[in-house]
Amino acid sequence: MDLTFSEAELAFRDELRSWLADHHPGEMPHGDEDEQYAFRRDWQRTLYDGGWAAVHWPSRYGGRDATLTQSAIYFEELGRARAPLAANVLGLLLAGPTIMAWGTEEQQDRYLTPILSAEEIWCQGFSEPEAGSDLASLKTKAVRDGDEWVVTGQKVWTSGAQHSKWCMLVARTDQDVPKHKGLSYFLMDMEQAEIQVRPLVQITGEAEFNELFIEEARIPHENLLGGEGNGWKVALTTLMNERAGLGFFLQVRMRNVLDDLVTAAVQNGRIDDPVVADRLGDLHLRTENLRLLAYRGLSTIERYGQPGPEGSLTKWLWSETNQLLAQTAADVVGADALVAGTPWAYELLRSRGNSIEGGTTEILKNIVAERVLRLPRAA
Amino acid sequence: MNFDFSEDQHEIKRTAHDLLAKRSPLERVRAAAESRTYDDGLWTELVELGWPGIAIDEQHGGGGLGVVELCTLLEEGGHALAGSPFLATALCGLVLQAAGDDGQRAAWLPRLASGEVTGTVGTADALVPDADGAALLLLADADGIRLLERYEATVEPVDAIDPTRRYARVSAPAGAGSPLPGDVEAALDRARVAVAAELVGVSARALEMTVAYVQDRKQFGVPVGSFQAVQHRCAQMLLHTESARAATYFAAWAADADPERLAEGAALAKAAASDGVRETTASAIQAHGGIGFTWEADVHWFYKRAQLGAAYLGGGGAMRARLARLAARRVEAVV
Repeated sequence: MDLTFSEAELAFRDELRSWLADHHPGEMPHGDEDEQYAFRRDWQRTLYDGGWAAVHWPSRYGGRDATLTQSAIYFEELGRARAPLAANVLGLLLAGPTIMAWGTEEQQDRYLTPILSAEEIWCQGFSEPEAGSDLASLKTKAVRDGDEWVVTGQKVWTSGAQHSKWCMLVARTDQDVPKHKGLSYFLMDMEQAEIQVRPLVQITGEAEFNELFIEEARIPHENLLGGEGNGWKVALTTLMNERAGLGFFLQVRMRNVLDDLVTAAVQNGRIDDPVVADRLGDLHLRTENLRLLAYRGLSTIERYGQPGPEGSLTKWLWSETNQLLAQTAADVVGADALVAGTPWAYELLRSRGNSIEGGTTEILKNIVAERVLRLPRAA
Repeated sequence: MNFDFSEDQHEIKRTAHDLLAKRSPLERVRAAAESRTYDDGLWTELVELGWPGIAIDEQHGGGGLGVVELCTLLEEGGHALAGSPFLATALCGLVLQAAGDDGQRAAWLPRLASGEVTGTVGTADALVPDADGAALLLLADADGIRLLERYEATVEPVDAIDPTRRYARVSAPAGAGSPLPGDVEAALDRARVAVAAELVGVSARALEMTVAYVQDRKQFGVPVGSFQAVQHRCAQMLLHTESARAATYFAAWAADADPERLAEGAALAKAAASDGVRETTASAIQAHGGIGFTWEADVHWFYKRAQLGAAYLGGGGAMRARLARLAARRVEAVV
């Protein structure tokens, strides 16, 4: 066991730190979503120009061949510097690696660089109104018509669709086989009239997600990824990359928020209240546990080639802790935490989504029970 | 960066696991607990293998390994719920080595390492494990830690709810014994990490037993482990266990390699393990249903060991208060 960084890891960290010190974009504008999005897109271009957009990608695609630990360091350092996330986070983390794993050489040449440079933004068309956690039961249909596929259906919770040029679309291409086997994975051009994007306003008042209404949209056959009928397997590649490394960014971000909360408690004297201190101590424990579990997960992957139980636990622990943190802030900061438009108020509302997005806590517990503990499948 | 055991450390843990599975199955734990005795043969064997001295410096006759290696043994000890003075003696060695002076170390560490004598660590107002048979007692109070020989202390055996281990109250007249001159809190933190390691093993075993039981036990024609409420309880047990394990391994590593982070690490480990193991062992009883509440089922031994271990050298509440102070100090340093 050795929790110190190696020379190479330290060199990587220091290079990134000094680059960040020179290129930090400053504070993200408050309020206006479009401004924030433009800010993050500019930031990604800066990252791209510096060669820092996707360190975990192979260098032949513009990455840095970063190891898992370097990738963790990358996200931790961005979080520590309080830098924003790149605009095309779904492209960088999900679409890119999926295209690298399943795409033809032509597809890789065509799509990867514009992902990196934020020239083409990606969204993920998996969920449907009747197929959230039960992804295999999705109904959006794609029918072959010569060199094209004709797609009809509805998608929901599509983050960033309003900015996206491309969509990772999973659709049913065969009705007559068991539900997992009749799916295919497409790279769908969002710029066609047959696709309507309708924003879903959230409890925060902002609209990160959208509904997609697709009425006979066209996808050329060459945009099929991984072959007809392989959609389930390709989608699993995407899902396995979900949060790869991003967890470290979120953990550091949470630690920053906790530091802000402890600062507030020290300044207003609430830190002397034993109940407040107990809750802040618990939050300190939880945030550190999250980091330690994530690092344990990295070492497990390095040793065994696949994640251990830690991986299934960190998202669950993160969402629970983030909600607890925001709720504690409402007690410690007081009424000021409830004023609309303040960061605390935003966290209080936004954090409710944490235990739903990217797999509900209930589904995560099922996964832990059935796949990690090997309990019999629920009736 | 490698947050995993080295090959040697894995091997130590595997060997300990296999040995205790053979030498201390739950029938023997039960027999010893019911007769309030220890299996002396097991202790002799552990001594021959060098367990009591594993983390004691070679110059004092120990194995010269670290807190990480000691923790692998203690975790397996908790997993097997083995009854012996191993934990108490190992803690005594850790604290003495960290905070004793040269004379104190030279006089006692070789005897602890060789198993010639046993020792313990405790506080004056709490139950102290294995104090009655110990030749050396390290007693902590507000003024620091005193080193007491058995004859200098008053030891009153107490029937604690955990009969897999022997407990006593310890007191000594003012001025008795000799004070340890070193950093008392840092020394106790090493002991806390070691206790946390045992609790991780207790927690892991409680989960294992529960998973095996709910796979087997049927109600309404299906295994109860297929019910979501039971599954979610088991998932929560895993989260508690893995959180305690990650924090404990981090703290053990800090004790050996990065003492500046030991105070935080020990508080994280003891808080996570103390609270986690109380939850997991209570959940184990619940998931076993009525059987779990009977003397005949073995899960209650784990619940009992968990309760005493959770309280020993500071429980979750005290550790969270420390963490809050550390967090406050961190932000004040920045402001």
